[in-house]
Amino acid sequence: MDLKSTREGSNLIVDVEGRVDGTNAMDFQTALEGAIQPSDQGVIMDMGQLQYISSAGLRVILLVAKSLQKQNAKLLGCSLSESVREIFAISGFDKIVPVHDSRTDALKALED
Amino acid sequence: MSDAEAWEIAGMSNGLTLTLETRPEELERLTAAVETLAEQDNWPAALTFRVNLVLEELVLNVINYAYDEDGHHLDVELTCNEEDLVIEITDEGRPFDPLHDAPEPDMESPMEERRIGGLGVYLVRTMTSDMQYRREDGKNRMTVAMSRDG
Repeated sequence: MDLKSTREGSNLIVDVEGRVDGTNAMDFQTALEGAIQPSDQGVIMDMGQLQYISSAGLRVILLVAKSLQKQNAKLLGCSLSESVREIFAISGFDKIVPVHDSRTDALKALED
Repeated sequence: MSDAEAWEIAGMSNGLTLTLETRPEELERLTAAVETLAEQDNWPAALTFRVNLVLEELVLNVINYAYDEDGHHLDVELTCNEEDLVIEITDEGRPFDPLHDAPEPDMESPMEERRIGGLGVYLVRTMTSDMQYRREDGKNRMTVAMSRDG
C-alpha cells in the first residue's frame, strides 16, 4: 500500500496504490489521517491504482468519512476498478462515499 | 512457502493447501499462494480479487475470534475445477459459526450511525454460491463454493 497526497486549493487528493488488507489497514488509517488537515473542505480518494481492498480497509474509509463529516468536509472516491467498484456497491459504501469516474469529475462535484 | 502445496491432477483440477499460523501477517503468504495458483490456472483478475477477499475475511475471522492468543494453526484448502472453486478452512479454536455468530451487517444507516461489524461475512456471502459451517471432532470447518464467473 502506498499513499500519495496533493492539494488543490482547499481540497486534498489522495492516491491510494496497491493493496489495503488486514495486514496494513492500520498503516492506511495512519497515513490518511496524517494527510488530512482540519482546513480541508473536500477529500478525493483516487483509487485508480488500488488493486485490492477488504472489509479491514473499508472500515478505515468509514472512520475517515465520519471524522471528515465532523469538520464539514466531504469524502469522494474516483477511478475505481471494476472489482473495487463492486465491493463499494455490495457494501453500500457508494452511498456514504460518492464515487466518480474520474478525478476531474470528482473535483467538479466538489465545486458544485 | 515450504508447507504450501499446489497440485494439478491429470489436468482436471488445480488447488492449494496451506497451513497458516493464527497471526494476521500470515495473510501475505496466503495471498502469494493464491497469486501463484491464479497464474497457473489462468484466472481473470476479478476472480483473483474475489478469492483473496473471501479467504481474507474467513481467515481473519478465525484469527480474531477462534483463539485468545497467537501461535495456533489453521488449514486452508482450495480446489478448483472448470466451473467452481471450493474453499475449506479448518481450525481447532472455540466454536465460531460466522453464519450465525457474526453481527448483522449495517448497509443502510446514514454515515454517522453506520456500524462496520459483520461486513466481512456479508461480502463473503455475496461472493459465494454456497456457505456451510460444521463443528466436528472439536474443529470448526467452514466450506464455501464460488463460481468462476461470479
